[in-house]
Amino acid sequence: MAARGGRALLALCGALAACGWLLGAQAQEPGAPAAGMRRRRRLQQEDGISFEYHRYPELREALVSVWLQCTAISRIYTVGRSFEGRELLVIELSDNPGVHEPGLVYNICYLFLRFTSILTTANLHCEPEFKYIGNMHGNEAVGRELLIFLAQYLCNEYQKGNETIVKLIHNTRIHIMPSLNPDGFEKAASQPGELKDWFVGRSNAQGIDLNRNFPDLDRIVYVNEKEGGPNNHLLKNLKKIVDQNTKLAPETKAVIHWIMDIPFVLSANLHGGDLVANYPYDETRSGSAHEYSSCPDDAIFQSLARAYSAFNPPMSDPNRPPCRKNDDDSSFIDGTTNGAAWYSVPGGMQDFNYLSSNCFEITVELSCEKFPPEETLKSYWEDNKNSLISYLEQIHRGVKGFVRDLQGNPIANATISVEGIDHDVTSAKDGDYWRLLVPGNYKLTASAPGYLAITKKVAVPYSPAVGVDFELESFSERKEVEKEELMEWWKMMSETLNF
Amino acid sequence: MGFLWTGTWILVLVLQSSPIQAFPKPGGSQDKPLHNSELSAERPLNEQIAEAEADKIKKTYPPENKPGESNYSFVDNLNLLKAITEKEKIEKERQSIRSSPDDNKLNVEDVDSTKNRRLIDDYDSTKSGLNHKFQDDPDGLHQLDGTPLTAEDIVQKIATRIYEENDRGVFDKIVSKLLNLGLITESQAHTLEDEVAEVLQKLISKEANTYAEEPNKPISVTESQTGKIPEKVTPMAAIQDGFTNGQNDETVSNTLTLTNGLERRTKIYNEDNFEELQYFPNFYALLKSIDSEKEAKEKETLITIMKTLIDFVKMMVKYGTISPEEGVSYLENLDETIALQTKNKLEKNVTDNKSKLFPAPSEKSHEETDSTKEEAAKMEKEYGALKDSTKADNPRGKTDEPKGKTEAYLEAIRKNIEWLKKHDKKGNKEDYDLSKMRDFINQQADAYVEKGILDKEEADAIKRIYSSL
Repeated sequence: MAARGGRALLALCGALAACGWLLGAQAQEPGAPAAGMRRRRRLQQEDGISFEYHRYPELREALVSVWLQCTAISRIYTVGRSFEGRELLVIELSDNPGVHEPGLVYNICYLFLRFTSILTTANLHCEPEFKYIGNMHGNEAVGRELLIFLAQYLCNEYQKGNETIVKLIHNTRIHIMPSLNPDGFEKAASQPGELKDWFVGRSNAQGIDLNRNFPDLDRIVYVNEKEGGPNNHLLKNLKKIVDQNTKLAPETKAVIHWIMDIPFVLSANLHGGDLVANYPYDETRSGSAHEYSSCPDDAIFQSLARAYSAFNPPMSDPNRPPCRKNDDDSSFIDGTTNGAAWYSVPGGMQDFNYLSSNCFEITVELSCEKFPPEETLKSYWEDNKNSLISYLEQIHRGVKGFVRDLQGNPIANATISVEGIDHDVTSAKDGDYWRLLVPGNYKLTASAPGYLAITKKVAVPYSPAVGVDFELESFSERKEVEKEELMEWWKMMSETLNF
Repeated sequence: MGFLWTGTWILVLVLQSSPIQAFPKPGGSQDKPLHNSELSAERPLNEQIAEAEADKIKKTYPPENKPGESNYSFVDNLNLLKAITEKEKIEKERQSIRSSPDDNKLNVEDVDSTKNRRLIDDYDSTKSGLNHKFQDDPDGLHQLDGTPLTAEDIVQKIATRIYEENDRGVFDKIVSKLLNLGLITESQAHTLEDEVAEVLQKLISKEANTYAEEPNKPISVTESQTGKIPEKVTPMAAIQDGFTNGQNDETVSNTLTLTNGLERRTKIYNEDNFEELQYFPNFYALLKSIDSEKEAKEKETLITIMKTLIDFVKMMVKYGTISPEEGVSYLENLDETIALQTKNKLEKNVTDNKSKLFPAPSEKSHEETDSTKEEAAKMEKEYGALKDSTKADNPRGKTDEPKGKTEAYLEAIRKNIEWLKKHDKKGNKEDYDLSKMRDFINQQADAYVEKGILDKEEADAIKRIYSSL
């Protein structure tokens, strides 16, 4: 019967190949820059980007406009709802979404592909996943606006044939969530007058500070460091725990599910109130108010933070005075800082990413003023647009590849560890993994339960990422071969000796 | 101690491997006649039939094939078979696949050489040295330069073996060992797999008497598709298209397999007459709605695809890859999607009719401005009070805002269409692309409304804009 199954599978592979070929033929490819594209220069508007604050309906409208303009490379989805029922909208930019499905037959074909993708070895997931999250504190508004501008910008530049952007979109899946706390924003934005309060609108509609609401995995890690234990993927059986935890805000829950569902590699969390790029750990080891608390990946995090701050002139300006006269910015170096060295933050989203998943996240403070006047938005965009792109590009660093078995089947959830760095990453559903690393020579080991581990030496440049694949032999395979040989020997013996 | 014994005996076996043809099995005696039949004079006849059919198919398409493509497959097969033959002498593998005495093969190749010669004529002589040999020597195939078997023979042998053992693992083992030893590349392995599958398919279908006339059918069907570049690209047509153009070796062999399999299923369908499709009311309704005369092909395609899907799901459930509930829910979802699509298709027809009835552009813009006014009134109510507080110095007037939304969407859509037209490969099919886009947008807009990303009115506005283009 296996022969029939094999035949059917082959038949389906054929259909799959045909479908893939067909759908691929529909994908758009950029060519020469669109000549003669009208540029409407309205006041405060440039290329369809309007530099003004977007309330929830306008935020939605702006994202829909981006989607309508760039259907071939964009897709809008929602990860859940805020406490007051506003959708937590995300726009995804990549060359994969928005594949044209012209008719019924195509739709079945596409569904077919989707359904069978988990059962075939077709690598539909070959691009690393990146996310930007803004406006987690509702009154820190610059991040929200910058992300809306960024979505529009990426769409425009893609259509103009901007090589950097085109390459980025073709090689990365970029997820942009302009606002994680739309309820808070509405509250902050509803304040009359230009001067906004430091706290109004910061927390969600329930009064929960979302950046203190995540499960505090730092504490667990610090204990494990002393007593022995892992420091990654600390949240097991998490869906149940997350859903049953009454202390978690709906926004927090939505993000946790999001992080668990999509194998994000790199991320940034946009805030306001200061001007610095902040990296893990956010919580001090000893529990004191300020203390440099480095994580195992301190080197790459410093590099990532710098990749952002270096392109933001005021942020990286060594002579910049602190935002407020009495601020202590002694921990700031080149526009970057270790989180705990600045001040201790327990239950933050940044560390949660690092300790529960493969995702490396930094926190970026974009503006001394949390909710600055609207006419300053354009200059914030100018200051940050290069940083935003530069940080996006950081995802293509380090080592990447596939972990497979000897038959070529992907091994999901294999562990990839780096000698000298006490933090492992795991392979995703299709066996793909990404490991961000600063330049150097490393030994990478891939292992999975039931398989023999393999170690490989890699020389990692600054960029691009080096491809290293692993083919693991399973214990049972080896056992099977040995067993077979034994059986054959036995039969031969019995024949020869007539017993 | 036991392992020492094992080791010693294995060593002994290795050294004595040549005289021993196969490891004796408890039921070994039963297999012997079959194995021996390979050596008998009868076998070449069966092989001839198998090869003749394979050749017939291959022969029909070389004119359309790019010479390079088929050449690659054939030449690689020869290299492969060389490698296999050499390797088998070393290893203690299933010995039945090993090359049998040359004389039988000689007969086969004598008969086949004329057919193969025609294939050779199409080959690109610069492709490889091996091919060069053949071009110089028209009877090269049966003048064995150390190649005792043709590619088809090897494939046939492996397929027969798999068929007898009823175990696909045989093939996997052989191929993985070859790969590990670096004797073949992955693409060659794929090609081999395809060809083995093909022959296996034939073996199995030959066994079933009811489908005796099958082998001819797919050939004639696909033949009619020769050289045609269909406007309405359906997967079925595309598969056949790919087949005729020989673009991809894998696709070629797979599609043959697929076509055979689908043909068989279609046969079942004819006999059962919608037995399974009755469980998909929406699909059934859709089928009915398709005009049988005009769109017979599309109807056939849809049926075959549905059948394939259903069979696939059944197979997966059978092998325990998914649970029966998952299979059922998947098929239900499929049916629902079909319902949605049908609805969209109908709606599209309606809006198309509408636009036909009102061709004057002024009337259309009238519609849009009317809706804009409604939306304007709505928005002003919503945002009027709130806006003032946040916008200290807004050069753009408030009245721009509501119109701005539809305008913004219009502008975005315009840019999209412009860009698509510039970068679409099939440049001269603008109208077609637009209808594709329309369907896609309609579907996406509805999906977004469901998820709360779009308002119903917004979605309608977008759909209207697209249908008016």
